[in-house]
Amino acid sequence: MIFDSYEAFRAANFTAKVCILGSGPAGTTIARKLGAAGIPVVVLEAGSREFSDESQDFYRGTTVGDPYFDLDITRLRFMGGSSNHWAGWCRVLDSQDFEPKAWAPDTGWPISRADIDPYLPEVHDILELPDFRPDVPISDDIRWIQLIKSPAVRFGEKFADELDASRNIAVVLNTYATELAGDGKRVTGARLWSNGQDAGAFSADYFITCTGGLENSRLLLWSNQRSNGGVVPNATALGRYWMEHPTFEGGNAILADYGEFEVDADNEAFFSPTLAAMERLQIMNFGIRLIETPYPHVKRLIADLACTAPDMAEWMSSRLSQNLRCAAQLYVAWEQAPLASNQIELSKTDVDHAGVPRIELHWKKSELERRTLLEGLRLFGTTLAQKNLGRVRIADWIGNGGDYPTNEETAGHHHMGGTRMGTDVTRSVVDANCKVHGMDNLYVGGSSVFCTSGECNPTTTITALACRLGDHLGKVIAV
Amino acid sequence: MTFFTGNFFTRKMPRRMIVQMLIALPALSLFRNQPAVVDPDEIVEVNGWILKRSDLA
Repeated sequence: MIFDSYEAFRAANFTAKVCILGSGPAGTTIARKLGAAGIPVVVLEAGSREFSDESQDFYRGTTVGDPYFDLDITRLRFMGGSSNHWAGWCRVLDSQDFEPKAWAPDTGWPISRADIDPYLPEVHDILELPDFRPDVPISDDIRWIQLIKSPAVRFGEKFADELDASRNIAVVLNTYATELAGDGKRVTGARLWSNGQDAGAFSADYFITCTGGLENSRLLLWSNQRSNGGVVPNATALGRYWMEHPTFEGGNAILADYGEFEVDADNEAFFSPTLAAMERLQIMNFGIRLIETPYPHVKRLIADLACTAPDMAEWMSSRLSQNLRCAAQLYVAWEQAPLASNQIELSKTDVDHAGVPRIELHWKKSELERRTLLEGLRLFGTTLAQKNLGRVRIADWIGNGGDYPTNEETAGHHHMGGTRMGTDVTRSVVDANCKVHGMDNLYVGGSSVFCTSGECNPTTTITALACRLGDHLGKVIAV
Repeated sequence: MTFFTGNFFTRKMPRRMIVQMLIALPALSLFRNQPAVVDPDEIVEVNGWILKRSDLA
């Protein structure tokens, strides 16, 4: 069932056992899992079926530190959430991403990749993915990895009919919780806002916040403030360890031979380091996106190479008339070290139309990440040279220690952390089952529970974790 | 003078040759510092390029 207002929902007398906040990939997936298990669920979606400026306005906020996207642009507030502008790139976090790294504090998850592997077949159905091929090592340091460009499932569109037809799931549009109330052990209710006005209190046995990698922290910070710590009793890490995937053009490559890898339909190929290389260089994970570029770029690059290595340039040039495919741009997206200082705070001066403080995002890239960018490109360049696959030129600003460019991709619109998973209540917010520490009936879905970000796009892992949480909660409720 | 006239070198070698040898001594040190064998596959970074040393030949 889908309702356009809380009033219409209330008139239907639907009694929900579980209240899910948000209808993005996490919220919709958990609702479908619980609905299939016969558990009545209500999904509160703040927006309507379509994009609107009025709805997006609730997402405005400010960023302190490094330049970042406008917070009302980098995410979407309507049915299906940010899947509505998702590019569809899929890959699951690697096993090594779940492991603690001695050289990077606060890394490591309380679960392993094996804990989400059983859910990947479901994820493949949901996201319409073919099977991933195994990674291909092209040296001891670099893996040729696969990143599947999926059809980019819009969860609102894809599952609207199914949700509408469901007897166990009620989706209530234009309605959301401005705050949760709690007594330090349980969430006792939620204050709702629907169609531009206060809609009163609402209660359910279980609450799951799936409002996104920024908004989950905002909602819980505000709720906790209003409940004097009654919603997140252990709040030291709440809002902290927020992460993105910084993304910049790192240089170029001239490619002589594609014998060891192939580009995809978009003329792109992806590469990541091995764990041994990361450990040896003490860097974070990264992904290099190799994009074939048009012919004029090849000539420019070869001209540049001729100044340094004339014979090599001449050889490369001769390959042009043989089977040299192209030159390539190299984009690097890397894993941010989880830092408590990268955090979501509540604005002290600015509130939205419902009176909830807006987000003040504190975000800064670290020196470790800067080293990851440089050493990552060196690793890749070394592999290409050693294997005679080509030669890499690192962008001047990286080699010279210059400032990050301000006119590039900047990051991936991947909002991770803030309610991270863990066993130490001072360094995490939820446990291995995504339950808020100390609370009996409050769970968190989405990438805000990520402990580390790996190098890949998060939606596949978000969906896998949502399947896992749906399964877990289904068993908890059935008991 | 007995010391010089009794010396093996001064008796057997003309003074001119001794001077020539002394002049040549510094040049001999060049042969002691022979350059290490260069690995053509060594990776070097020049002007931002990641290259093999042999690329620079």
